[in-house]
Amino acid sequence: MEKSVMVIGGGIAGIQASLDLADKGIIVHLVEKSPSIGGRMAQLDKTFPTNDCSICILAPKMADCFSHPNTNVITYAEVVGVEGKVGAFKVKVLKKARFVDETMCTGCGECLEKCPVKVPSEFEMGLSNRKAIYTPFMQAVPRVMTIDKENCIMITKGKCGNCKKACKREAIDFEMKDQMLEIEVGSIIVATGFDSWNPTTSTEYGYGRYPNVYTAMEYERMINAAGPTHGHIERRSDKKRPTKLAFIQCVGSRNPQVGHPYCCAVCCMHSTKEAMLAREHHDDMESTIFYKDMRACAKGFWEYIERAKRDYGVRYLNSDATVQENPENHNPIVVYDVGGRQQSEEFDMVVLATALIPRKETLELAKILGLKADEFGFLESSDRILGMGRTNVPGVFLAGYAAGPADIPESVAQGSSAAAKAVEAMALAGGA
Amino acid sequence: MTMAETKKTDPNEKPRIGVYVCHCGSNIGGFVDVPSVAEYAKTLPDVVYATDNLYTCAEDGLTSIREGIRKHNLNRVVVASCTPRTHAPLFQTTCESAGLNKYLFTFVNIREHCSWVHMKEKEKATLKARDLIKMGVARARLLMPQEEEKVDVEPTGLVIGGGVSGMTAALSLADMGFPVHLVEKEGELGGFVRNLNNLYVTEKSATETIKPLIEKVKASKNVKLHLNSQVKSVEGFIGNYDVVMASKGAEDIKTKVGTIVVATGALEFVPEGLYGYNQYPNIVTLTEFEILCKKKSLPSLKNVAFIQCVGSRGQKVSYCSRICCNVAIKNAINIVDNYENMLGLAEKNGTIIDTVPVEKKVPDEILERRRRRRGRERGEEGEAEEVKLGPSEKIEVTVFNRDVMAYGVEHELTYNKAREHRVKFVRYTPENPPKVFMEGNQLMVSYFHETLKLDRSMPVDMVVLSTPMVPQLDTREMSQMLKVPQGQDGWFLEAHVKLRPVDFATDGIYVCGTCKGPADITEAATQAAAAASRAAIPMAKGYVQAEALTSVVDDIKCSGCGTCIQVCPYGAMRKNDKGLAETIVAACKGCGCCGATCPEMAITMTNYTDAQLLAEAKATLEEV
Amino acid sequence: MAEPQHTIHEKKDEPRAAAGEFEPKIIGFLCNWCSYAGADLCGVSRYQYPTNVRPVRVMCSTRISPHLVLDIFKAGADGILLGGCHLNDCHYISGNFYTEKRVRLMLKLLEDAGVDPKRLRLEWVSASEGEKFSKVVTEFTETIRNLGPNQVKKDAALRSKIAAADEASDTFRLRALVGKELGLEKTGNVYGNKLEQTELEKLIDIATKEEFERSLILELSKDKARSVKELGKIMEVPTDRVLRHIVVLRQKNMLSMDHPEGFTPTYKTIIIGGEQ
Repeated sequence: MEKSVMVIGGGIAGIQASLDLADKGIIVHLVEKSPSIGGRMAQLDKTFPTNDCSICILAPKMADCFSHPNTNVITYAEVVGVEGKVGAFKVKVLKKARFVDETMCTGCGECLEKCPVKVPSEFEMGLSNRKAIYTPFMQAVPRVMTIDKENCIMITKGKCGNCKKACKREAIDFEMKDQMLEIEVGSIIVATGFDSWNPTTSTEYGYGRYPNVYTAMEYERMINAAGPTHGHIERRSDKKRPTKLAFIQCVGSRNPQVGHPYCCAVCCMHSTKEAMLAREHHDDMESTIFYKDMRACAKGFWEYIERAKRDYGVRYLNSDATVQENPENHNPIVVYDVGGRQQSEEFDMVVLATALIPRKETLELAKILGLKADEFGFLESSDRILGMGRTNVPGVFLAGYAAGPADIPESVAQGSSAAAKAVEAMALAGGA
Repeated sequence: MTMAETKKTDPNEKPRIGVYVCHCGSNIGGFVDVPSVAEYAKTLPDVVYATDNLYTCAEDGLTSIREGIRKHNLNRVVVASCTPRTHAPLFQTTCESAGLNKYLFTFVNIREHCSWVHMKEKEKATLKARDLIKMGVARARLLMPQEEEKVDVEPTGLVIGGGVSGMTAALSLADMGFPVHLVEKEGELGGFVRNLNNLYVTEKSATETIKPLIEKVKASKNVKLHLNSQVKSVEGFIGNYDVVMASKGAEDIKTKVGTIVVATGALEFVPEGLYGYNQYPNIVTLTEFEILCKKKSLPSLKNVAFIQCVGSRGQKVSYCSRICCNVAIKNAINIVDNYENMLGLAEKNGTIIDTVPVEKKVPDEILERRRRRRGRERGEEGEAEEVKLGPSEKIEVTVFNRDVMAYGVEHELTYNKAREHRVKFVRYTPENPPKVFMEGNQLMVSYFHETLKLDRSMPVDMVVLSTPMVPQLDTREMSQMLKVPQGQDGWFLEAHVKLRPVDFATDGIYVCGTCKGPADITEAATQAAAAASRAAIPMAKGYVQAEALTSVVDDIKCSGCGTCIQVCPYGAMRKNDKGLAETIVAACKGCGCCGATCPEMAITMTNYTDAQLLAEAKATLEEV
Repeated sequence: MAEPQHTIHEKKDEPRAAAGEFEPKIIGFLCNWCSYAGADLCGVSRYQYPTNVRPVRVMCSTRISPHLVLDIFKAGADGILLGGCHLNDCHYISGNFYTEKRVRLMLKLLEDAGVDPKRLRLEWVSASEGEKFSKVVTEFTETIRNLGPNQVKKDAALRSKIAAADEASDTFRLRALVGKELGLEKTGNVYGNKLEQTELEKLIDIATKEEFERSLILELSKDKARSVKELGKIMEVPTDRVLRHIVVLRQKNMLSMDHPEGFTPTYKTIIIGGEQ
């Protein structure tokens, strides 16, 4: 039997696991649900505590991962069934029809101009539109188009076909069918990442009701130079640039009422980063962060907070906060509590650090693989102290946020760690 | 090291250049007059063939390159299309498949850098495209074939440090099939964890928890254990390190390893002069407290105060030590829930604190003070009587904190549990820290109540100071020996805080656990497995192959000044036995810093020589 | 952006490509990982900019030694743009810190040579700053357009001066100083003394001036033996200073002296055959 591993999830944890394995000469099948690998990290503008440009450092890894001779990157696909045991798993992968021949498409983009359908872009958190034929973002890997069949009017109504006419490579095939692949692997790594909790139901923050209340992920896209506003911070209500920003922490997290009593472990840092970046964009930006505990507890993090206070004028207020709105100018009003006295303050924009939650699909995957999940949906390790990432199913390992809150370096370390564990498991199972 | 001779083309062989200009559908063709550009390319020096393709990257385009190489005997290929950042590997592979060394290929970007950014100026865009190709051809004429150097890797690992991180890394490498030397300076394995009572999330003792790991390490056929040993010297580079290990009372052991994992751990900061430590009785650090619990030798207690961030977060050290809140919470819950089990021995022998391993790092003078204090406490000098307390039914625990760092799922839930278990959390600011003092025979803590804006005080029987982890005292020596950097706080510095958390910038050396900064046992073990995974890569491959974009030193010009060694971020330059600089090709990344720095201009960068760059740039400056 | 292919960002104030109008020739050295990638993104996003920059890809901006820049100015470039990663973002960890130091030297030498330092521009452009790249190129092209053509090919005096600056940039002294500058600031010299940045810069500025003047003497005396007075006049440098340089150059055996009876001594550059 040949040594091969399946990695499920093409975010940074999955990419790292894949590269570590492929570099060891092991064949890797990387299954990614969306049309491109890259995951959440591709959406971030900068990364704390160095303010490195996120896509700049990620893109080379994505390219390496895709072009590695030992990797087989299967995008737009999902795992739907597993049989067998460590050393000899048989995995069923449903490769959804993307209606574009990946071997023919050169990603030139001529079809895009001709497509008449506009759909809110998932990658841009709905802040701008994409077409029905699209790549999720500029640096997408593989750089091939995908037609989303829900929105393509050729597929739904049978009229249009503009993209097909525009494509000189004849890469478009409206007849394409979903494909079921069966892949044999010695072990499996699950790295399905996280979702951002939708705070619409928690009315005290006014998200979805007050136009100038944003989630952190939306803000992250907005400040990105390649994002929907070309890096300009602007209000939904009047397109004006705000100067007074409020960041509210623990929105839906550390909150048993909404079912996420845990701490997401990254929000104190990303809000601080976002506040710093506002000031980097414009000198007159004033940011206030409302927090419960400032959890800045990894290498260089506390220093980062100190720098935010000292050099970027970020104000930290230790208080819970809720949001109301001044109906005249759509300015959000933050109501908070200091020293037992309720106070309120008007801002131009509010950014919510919403809870980060395991993806819904992760639970389905857990069922397929026979993995245990905790009450919140995070996948559980069998040995929580010394063997994080090892599961109750021999040969199946975890990495990244799907296994519990983790920041980028932790996800990378877990990706590498899962790769080592996968190799050990296969060696033990005799799958050499 | 075997310096592979770089193959040179016959210098007399005249360049025969083929130029392929791509339309990229209408992406280029719509804004640049591609056929005329291809025609122009034919007029350039040494160009023997030029053509245009609808899509050069498509199979028919690639075929035309292969055919061109054969038919026209091309020895250089220029493709003018999109960006090398995505497409260079494809064309290089194509050239190689037709027998042309991939370093004889040149990419010219006329899409991202031309047609797409000059969509309204077709004529000027066409002129620019011509110019860019002219530059590419000028560069191509000077290209030389390069051989990528392969260096064999000794498939044996070295792990420095026998704590949880080191053991995990060693065992992982062993289980992946590689022999490993595990070097531990103490007489037994286990490291810092040996001091601890239990590990949070479990009630099992710390020693019991790591016992299976220790046993597996000892039983592993692939692990060669060196206890009471230290690494004395390390010379070499990735795949080829010559290591000398010194053991107490034994001869030095010399061995060769391919990769090295550093897992040397950390110490606990000793809070001399803070909060009455060493001044009043019953003031201990978090680890000392753990030892007391572990030995079941806690004195009788009614009120315990934990003070967090003692010396950390901008005081003695700038950082937050990550784990102390959670360790304090664990201990708080322990003594509330399980107090009786930890009592006992203390009353019998009157011992407050037994030897704490970290003391070995404490200067003698401080040790002396502490000994005297203990003497006092035992009543030897009769100065201060130990505080006598009756057994308590109820125990009060207060945690003075700045922020409770209960990150993630487990810690936050434990934090909630602690509050349910009557553990009080009182927040203080660095401007208003709590104070520890004696009122008669009573130990007291006073603090400023932030909500009530009032000073308050409370009697306590014991104060536990949560002090940060600090780097091992020999970190600097280790960093010099291995030529790996330390960060500002003295921790080992990884290659990239985000994406390379367990790599050093120098290939072949990896880092994990608390020697790179505070981490709990789970994180340390994860990093250790990660470091093992990274270290296994070159060993599994059996070789390292460097892209031929490295620096080359001219022996005749080099004066041995050593500037290049100073500026190289990868430790890829070294002095040879003649005292002259030499590139460790396997470690070089080709940035060119040494080349631009060398005062004697003795260093050239393969494939990016001065001559090539100048020819490329100057081609556009020539008068037409 | 989800659909950038549709947005063509037009520049209003161009092109003004009237026949005969000065079209600057600008070389852009772009590092592979950030500024080249930024230029790529700029293209993908269709931000438009003038056609004057000719990019040359290098792996890192740290590769660009002062000699390359000065030689290209000597060859007639109207402007040179250096693009690197933002500080701390360098793919090669610390490369761009060295770039910064070297650019300082380049600017000093350009000034000495009488080339407007505005002709050289260093910019940090990240892989996500496509729009910034177009702005930088647009602005820089405009700057160069306003400065007019590099006169090096028409002006012999300027030519000698740029050549001298180029030579100076290659001297052991300047290369060693600039190469060690960062190290001296950070970790100190062999005695562990750290040097203040300003102190070091002063030191380097003095050395730069001296090396430039010495190189210029050699340049001017290449084809014709010249007297101290003559050199002082051409270089606009006091004669005692010229003489001091000459003493040094004589010690290094780089100048020969002709001292005919009763005449002022003249000096000629010794050209060693075979050495480039």
